[in-house]
Amino acid sequence: MKKRLFASLAVAALVGSSLVAATSAAQAAPRTVVVWSPYQTGNLELWNAALKRIEVANPGLKITSVGSIDMAKSLAAINAGTGPDLSVSNGNGNLGWFCGSGAWQKLNTLIAGANGIDMKSTFNAASVASSISNNVRCGLPLYSEVFAFYFNKDLLAKAGFTTPPKTTTELLNYSLKLTTFNTDGSIKTAGFVPWAGYYGFDMDSMWLGQMFGAKWYAGDRSSAFASDPKWAAAFNWQHDFIAKVFGGGNFEKGSKLLLTFVAGRGDEWGTSHDFMTGRVAMKWDANWMAPLYCTGDDWAMAEKCTAKVNFGIAGFPVAPNNLAAYGSGVVGQGQIGISKGSKNVKDAWIVMKALATDTKLAAAWDSANGSPSSLLAKAARPASYPTWYQPIYDVLTNPNSAYHTVKNTGEHLEESLLQNLMASWQAGDTSNIKTALSDLANKVNQIVARNN
Amino acid sequence: MSLTKVNASALFKKKGALAPPRKKLKVPKLFIFLCLSPWLFGLIFFTAYPMVASFYQSFTKFNLIDSPKWIGLQNFHRMFFEDDDFWKALKNTVWISAISIPLRICFAIFAAWILTKPKRGRNIYRTIFFLPSMVPAVAGTMAFTYIFNPAYGPINKMLQAIGIKNPPFWFLDPKWSKWTLIILGLWGIGDTMIIFLAGLLDVPVSLYEAASLEGASGWQSFRYITLPLITPVIFFSGVTGVIGSFQYFTQAYVASGQVNDYSHSMYFYATHIYYSAFKAYEMGYASALAWVLLVITLLCTLVILKTQKRWVHYPNGSLFK
Repeated sequence: MKKRLFASLAVAALVGSSLVAATSAAQAAPRTVVVWSPYQTGNLELWNAALKRIEVANPGLKITSVGSIDMAKSLAAINAGTGPDLSVSNGNGNLGWFCGSGAWQKLNTLIAGANGIDMKSTFNAASVASSISNNVRCGLPLYSEVFAFYFNKDLLAKAGFTTPPKTTTELLNYSLKLTTFNTDGSIKTAGFVPWAGYYGFDMDSMWLGQMFGAKWYAGDRSSAFASDPKWAAAFNWQHDFIAKVFGGGNFEKGSKLLLTFVAGRGDEWGTSHDFMTGRVAMKWDANWMAPLYCTGDDWAMAEKCTAKVNFGIAGFPVAPNNLAAYGSGVVGQGQIGISKGSKNVKDAWIVMKALATDTKLAAAWDSANGSPSSLLAKAARPASYPTWYQPIYDVLTNPNSAYHTVKNTGEHLEESLLQNLMASWQAGDTSNIKTALSDLANKVNQIVARNN
Repeated sequence: MSLTKVNASALFKKKGALAPPRKKLKVPKLFIFLCLSPWLFGLIFFTAYPMVASFYQSFTKFNLIDSPKWIGLQNFHRMFFEDDDFWKALKNTVWISAISIPLRICFAIFAAWILTKPKRGRNIYRTIFFLPSMVPAVAGTMAFTYIFNPAYGPINKMLQAIGIKNPPFWFLDPKWSKWTLIILGLWGIGDTMIIFLAGLLDVPVSLYEAASLEGASGWQSFRYITLPLITPVIFFSGVTGVIGSFQYFTQAYVASGQVNDYSHSMYFYATHIYYSAFKAYEMGYASALAWVLLVITLLCTLVILKTQKRWVHYPNGSLFK
């Protein structure tokens, strides 16, 4: 009997110890999170340093970082089931697609959970607003990109202006004075060029809409291109501008002259850029262009500007009926999301949250490239930054600065379609802007309905 | 007994000394299969499987992330009745095919004919004419967007210098953009030209000599000797031209990006497939577009094949049967 008892106890002990060993082995198994990002060289080093900090703060967590991966590659891998746990997208444009298609997981539960984030007290207003329909969120902001108004101080002063234009009416009047013509009638220098395709990263129409306070969607799903009269007002202003400033009242003439002028633009990524050579006096542009304008040939932030162009930065001029929005611009964000099929969502969230709220990383990035943080915390700003860059922060924190609402339209097709319309309108190929906007709204509604 | 009535093999059997019966080479089937396997692998996995998959996907809604969802003929209905871009792309593609194929053939014949003329340095001239076709399509197109830039491009500078006050805007003008692409295509005519050159050199000189003795003019010699004898090459170029032009993509895509072709004047069928698949992420719809393209190309090719009996002459002098 005793023998049996001992034997049973021995077996039980053996089984028990095996179970304990197995459990502890499972606990001790490395928790791995794979992070893919588009970053390279210096930015990747800062990024990897931040990941190292997260590893140190979370013993047992191993993070594998792979740089130089764009979203197309990430998307293909997510589709094939071999994607990373976390991937990074530059800009908001694709957020609707990642969120709507399920390529990135919805984060609402994690954000509201025990280890969640109070979005409003953590990120700036534009970043908080960067969700898709019904406040569904699938990405966290990593940094901001700010699109503001750049002006050549010397050229403006020469024309008798001491401040940048605040309204679209002023912008037109400034341009009338600043635009000059060659003896053959072609444009020599332009005050401002409201033209789809004149630099602008295919975002000109978005910026034009922002000046007039035009909404992209009314309610949750339907496109506002037709229902918001501000779109028609924006396009009519562009038409009027081209006619008055470049065509002496003749739109067709102005359009044709501008087409030649735009065709002769200098290289966007070098010293022959029209803004640097003085060929154009005022323009919409991104914050990442500022270091180039400042130094002439470098993309790194500089304390003092040494380039030929003496420039200033301000908020977009706004329509006279949208004056309250003066000081604002378009503000987007780099986004990070948890891929569909991630096997370690819990740890992925830990890493993602830590990255998005890492003030040290944010300040380092800002200091290196002038990429302002999306965080409200003061520590996210560099200890010192050049005073000439302050307007970028002002535009960033302006409550009216925002990126338009995004929907699942594939690779932000609503932006491409609007840009196409702007181009067709400026070339004189579209005669009735209201009908064209109505057609555009229907098209966008169809795409959104199809993708949801 | 006449030879014609003799069973040849029987003859060999009887008189083995004349020609020994051919020994059948014994190659293991496995070896043959192994030799073919790389090609078979490619055919199955990179051609057959994608084709079958895309055929299935053409009846589905597939966004690359979720599993394909069967929607029957909806993609095809949308294509023909709801998608303006489909018709625009098809119209542009038909236009470029209809204009560029005959032009390319004429230009290639002309260039090849010129190259038959020089007595000295033939190979140098041939190399010069052929070189542009070796330039990568992307590089060639980018160079053309510079050369044809209306503001600083050398072409317009030249045109202005000879007194043309308002030269075209080329790629920037929707009315001229496709013509500029055609000029780009003609510049890279080398591959077609080399085939025509071979065809021209194949025409027997004796025929020209006979025609000359009969008093035929240069045009008559070309019309009644050269042209009929190079019709097989024209036929070949026509068929490959149709297939190629319906898949026209690289040059148009690069040029559109360079000049911001928002008017979609250089938006072709293959571009529409690309945008549907990789910009709108509608792989099901893109697959449907691809299958319709296959049917269109097949129909056009069949029409050319059917009509060849009437106009293609083969070297033995008889019409193709």
